[in-house]
Amino acid sequence: MTRPGFFQPNGRQLSSAGILLLMAPFFMLIGFAFLYPLLSLLSLSVTEPEPGLSNYVRILDNPLYFKVLLRTLWIAVLVSVLALLMAFPVAMAMVSSSGPMAVFITAFVLLPFWSSVLVRTAAWAVLLQRNGIVNDLLQVVGITSEPIRLLYTQGAVVVAMTHVLLPFMVLPIYGALRNIPSDYDRAAAICGAGPLRRFAEVTVPLALPGVLGGVILVFLTALGYFITPALLGSPKEMMIATLISQQLREFLDWPFAAALVGVLTLFVTAITLVFSKVFRFDRMLGGQL
Amino acid sequence: MTGSRGAEISIRGLEKSFGLLKAVDNVSIDIPSGEFLALLGPSGSGKSTVLMMLAGFEVPTGGAVLIDGTDCTRLPPQKRNIGMVFQHYSLFPHMTVADNVAFPLKMRGMGRAERRRRAGEALEVVRLGGYGDRMPSQLSGGQRQRVALARAIVYEPRLLLMDEPLSALDKNLREEMQLEIKRLHSELGITVVFVTHDQGEALTMADRIAILRGGRIQQMSPARELYERPANLFAAGFIGEMNMIPAAWDGSAMMLCQSDRVTPPPGAFVTTPANGRATLAIRPERVQVGAAEAPGSVGATLAEVVYAGAGTLVIARLDDGTELRARVPSAGLPRLSPGERIGLTLPPDALLVYAEESAA
Repeated sequence: MTRPGFFQPNGRQLSSAGILLLMAPFFMLIGFAFLYPLLSLLSLSVTEPEPGLSNYVRILDNPLYFKVLLRTLWIAVLVSVLALLMAFPVAMAMVSSSGPMAVFITAFVLLPFWSSVLVRTAAWAVLLQRNGIVNDLLQVVGITSEPIRLLYTQGAVVVAMTHVLLPFMVLPIYGALRNIPSDYDRAAAICGAGPLRRFAEVTVPLALPGVLGGVILVFLTALGYFITPALLGSPKEMMIATLISQQLREFLDWPFAAALVGVLTLFVTAITLVFSKVFRFDRMLGGQL
Repeated sequence: MTGSRGAEISIRGLEKSFGLLKAVDNVSIDIPSGEFLALLGPSGSGKSTVLMMLAGFEVPTGGAVLIDGTDCTRLPPQKRNIGMVFQHYSLFPHMTVADNVAFPLKMRGMGRAERRRRAGEALEVVRLGGYGDRMPSQLSGGQRQRVALARAIVYEPRLLLMDEPLSALDKNLREEMQLEIKRLHSELGITVVFVTHDQGEALTMADRIAILRGGRIQQMSPARELYERPANLFAAGFIGEMNMIPAAWDGSAMMLCQSDRVTPPPGAFVTTPANGRATLAIRPERVQVGAAEAPGSVGATLAEVVYAGAGTLVIARLDDGTELRARVPSAGLPRLSPGERIGLTLPPDALLVYAEESAA
C-alpha cells in the first residue's frame, strides 16, 4: 500500500521540469543568499593571507579551538536531549487534548514564535541576573544564602537555548504522534499491555520519525547558534558561533573566521550524513513506517 | 491449540451516556459459553459502544459486565484476557507479522523461543504459515485481517470481540473470511461477539443476533426466528425485505383498503392490536401471484415486473396505493403486463400482525 507523496496528492507524478519550476524561486534564493556567500567565504579561508591550508593548520595547532568545538557539540547534545525530554510529554498532551485545552497548549508551544529570539534571550538575562527573580527565589527557599552567578554561564546558555528551540522539537513529535491511529493503542491494551508498555512498545517506536526530525532540527540549529551564547554565555567558555563572530568583528580576521566556518560546515554535513544513513531520511520524511 | 471453553458473558442493564446523548440504554444480554453473538444495527445504534464497554475501552455510566461471573465493569482492557479484531486490522506497522502475533505472549512474559513457536502455530491456524518474517505492509487486506485474527487468538482467550472486521474487505474476500471465522469459532469453542451493520453477515455467521437501534435492543433471537418472526416493525424492516400493509383491525379480521378481509391465524399476532389501525406484514417471497378475482386473493394492479433469472420481482399496488412486492419463481409465471389486474394470495401462515402503524 503506497501513499501518494506530498507533491502528488492525487498520486500524479510531476515532470522533472515541473518540479524544477516549483523549486526555482527557492533555488535562486539559496544560491544567491547562501551558497554564493558561503563558497566565497570558504575560498577566502584557503587563499588568504597566502594560498594553502595555513588557517586550518592554525585551528589544529591550538587546542583552545578544538575545545570550543567540543564544547559546542556537547552543548548541542545537551540542548537536544533536554528539549526532547520536555517536548515529548508536551506533544503527547497536545495529541490527547481537545477543544479549548488543545488551543491553550498549542498557543503556549507557539508563543515563543510571537517574539524575537533577542527578546526571549534578554528575558533570561533579566531572570538570571544577580538580583533577578531566580536568585531571589533560591534565597527565599533557602537553597542559597547569597546571590550566585547564574548569568554568563554555560548553564544559562543551555537553559535558554532549550527554551528557544523547544518548539522545533515539539512540532515534529506532535505530527508523528497525531498520525498514530488510536486503534494501535487499543490493540496493544487488549493484547495485555499496560500504559507503560504501550508507550514503550507502540507509541515511542511509531513516534521515532518525529523524534529524529526534531533532534536533527534542534541539534543542527544549536551547533551554529549565536545570539543566546553571545548574550548569556561566559566569554571564557565560548561556542563556535561566538568565536567566529569574535574573529570577524573584533580581530577582523576574515580568512581565519572563514576556516572556522569551514570546520563547522564540515561537522554539520558529516552529522547530517550519518543521521540520514543510520535513520533513513527518506523513510522519516513523508515515508511510511 | 487446545480447545478452551468459551467464556460466559453477562451484560446487565448496561448504559453509556455521552453528555445528553444516551448511546447505550439499558442493554442486557446473557451470552452462554461458546455462543457466536452478532450485534447488528445501523450506525449510531450503540452496537460498537457495547463492544467498547465489553473490551474495557469505555467505562459504562450504568450497569455491569460480568465475564465468567466476575464483575469486569471497571477492569482495564489489558487485564481482561480478551481477544479482539479491529475494523482496520491495527497490526503494529513497525513489527513483523510474527512479532505482531507474539505481542500478547510477550506481554504475558513468555520466553522468546516459546513465543515464536506459538505465534507460528497461530499463523498456521489462519493459514498464513511461513509469513512470519514479513512486514504487515507487505500483506493484502485479507491476509492482514487473518494476522489480526491470529494475534487475537494466540493466547487462547475465552472471548473474542470483533468490530466490523470484514467491512474493509471486498465481497469475495469477505465471504471467504466469514467461513474462516466460523471454522475458527467451531474449532476453538470460543465465545464470539461480532459487531456488524451487514445483516447478511449476521444471519450467515451468528448463532444469535441482537438488533440495536438508538442504544436499545430491538430483538434478540436466532437468525431464523429473527427473519421469520421479527419482534417489531423496525426489526421487520431492517432484516431483509418486508411488505408492510396498513390495515384496520376490527377484532376478528384485518381490513385492507375498503373491501378485502384477511383473517390471520392466532399465531400471526406478534403484538395484539387494539381495534383500529394496525400493520399486516408479509415477506415478498411468501406472496403468491394469481389471476384477478381468484378466491381468497387481494385485488391489485400490476405496476412492474422485474425478471431476474430464477426469480421475478412483481411490484403491484393495492387499490389504496400501498405497494406490495412479490418474489416468485420465474418458471410457470404467466405473461403479465403493467396495468393488468391481478390477485395476490397471502398465505395465512406467512402473515404477521403488528399493533404499530407502519411509518411508510
